[in-house]
Amino acid sequence: MKDQWTDRLSEYVDGELAASERTALEAHLTACAGCRTTLDALRRVVARAQALDDRPPTADLWPAIAQQIGVVRRAVRGRPARRRFSFTVPQLAAASVALALLSGSAAWLIMRRGMVAPPAVGATDTAPLLVNASASASDRRYATQVADIERALERGRGQLDTVTVRIIEKNLGIIDRAIRDARSALTADPGNAYLNLHLAQEMRRKLELLRQAATLAGARS
Amino acid sequence: MLMTLATLATLALQQQTDTTIPVRAGARLEVSNFGGDITVKTWSRSAVRITADYSSRDRIAIEATDQVVSVKSQGRRGPSRVVEYDITVPAWMALALSGVYTDISVDGAQGEVTAETVEGAVKVSGGAGTVSLKSVQGDVTLEKAHGRIDLSSVNESITATAVSGDIAAETVNGDITLTQIESANTEANTINGDITYDGTIQDGGRYRFSTHDGDLRVSVPERANVAVSVSTFNGDFNPCFPVQLTGKSKHRFSFTIGAGSARLELESFGGDIKICRPGMLTKDKHKDHDEDHEEN
Repeated sequence: MKDQWTDRLSEYVDGELAASERTALEAHLTACAGCRTTLDALRRVVARAQALDDRPPTADLWPAIAQQIGVVRRAVRGRPARRRFSFTVPQLAAASVALALLSGSAAWLIMRRGMVAPPAVGATDTAPLLVNASASASDRRYATQVADIERALERGRGQLDTVTVRIIEKNLGIIDRAIRDARSALTADPGNAYLNLHLAQEMRRKLELLRQAATLAGARS
Repeated sequence: MLMTLATLATLALQQQTDTTIPVRAGARLEVSNFGGDITVKTWSRSAVRITADYSSRDRIAIEATDQVVSVKSQGRRGPSRVVEYDITVPAWMALALSGVYTDISVDGAQGEVTAETVEGAVKVSGGAGTVSLKSVQGDVTLEKAHGRIDLSSVNESITATAVSGDIAAETVNGDITLTQIESANTEANTINGDITYDGTIQDGGRYRFSTHDGDLRVSVPERANVAVSVSTFNGDFNPCFPVQLTGKSKHRFSFTIGAGSARLELESFGGDIKICRPGMLTKDKHKDHDEDHEEN
């Protein structure tokens, strides 16, 4: 599902196409469902990246609860200027996972250092997104980040209510099953864009839930 | 000029508090609890009435300024035990409510509402502007709200009825049911649950519904202009009306209704996807994870 316009979609999203090219691409989009789907995926990744920029992990999870149980809200550094994000089609799924990894890293930094993490998106300068969602390097990084947060969560486990722990473990299991399903399906159909994005989404979801649980545990320790 | 009211009322060794504080337009209410419910109702007075029932070992701290009325419960050593709040506020007042073992209920709000709990349900009627409701173990229910809506649970369901605006709903293990929705931008995703959307498909709007192990049921009005993308790995696609597929691959296909200015993405890894006309959506679950919930 690749045509002459596919690699121009990133420029289109960034508003870098000439007027004539933009018009031609928009005409093409009306007839090319694949391009529309790719464009939507690209916009989602960009939107998620921008959301990370605007909402560092220090503030997005249960701050009021943390405050209630004795954790002082950490100062939030001023918002950096928005960055633009350009991706080629093969980078899309990888970008989603990489952004999830960066979020996880930020959460881990917060827990470890008790300080504000650097803007997650800025880390893209040193963390290239040119990886495949199912590539081993990406998998290793993801596994490392998950393991880091799991260790932090394990240390704070005693602070959580047993019911809460059970619920979190149950839902992590549900997410893991979804990840396994997606990986298995990708083995049979590695080029499937939907499966790549689906896998990336579920991997992101796991990191978010771990982050949420670790924040709760940290807040109550 | 009204002087800033700054009072700290520490009411210890009592089992009930009942106090009323005048507030100015634009003030917000912040309530932070550990265990026990927070119930908020509205009235026409420019005042906040706070009633609380609690153990004599706990205390309630109320601070009020022109901008904020803050209510916190504290124990002698660490978190308080069970504090039951019943609070009445002006309808316009913004609300920020949080708890741990807490059910949160709001009725009649006309301002922003933020409600977060860990083990408990969140149920809100009303709200405008930013409405953000979150729970880990508890149903999240919203009705008659408009604005930027953010609904999140982990192990329970999300329901929104008669809601308008930009809507995001996410859970892991639960259904998401959105009915009587007026929105140009809605996204809902779950892993183990069904998603139902019965609402508008506006020109230029964006709608995305995704589940891993559940069914999708989405209404598409007859005169909608929408480009639809359907992705499923193990499920079936069942439209209630004829569609002309324009792009088709092994697990993904698309079609356009009308001019196609809106985008509708439907994704279910293992479940079926059904589109019907508004009001025709029926609930025929393939998987019943209620039993799973009951085990908890």
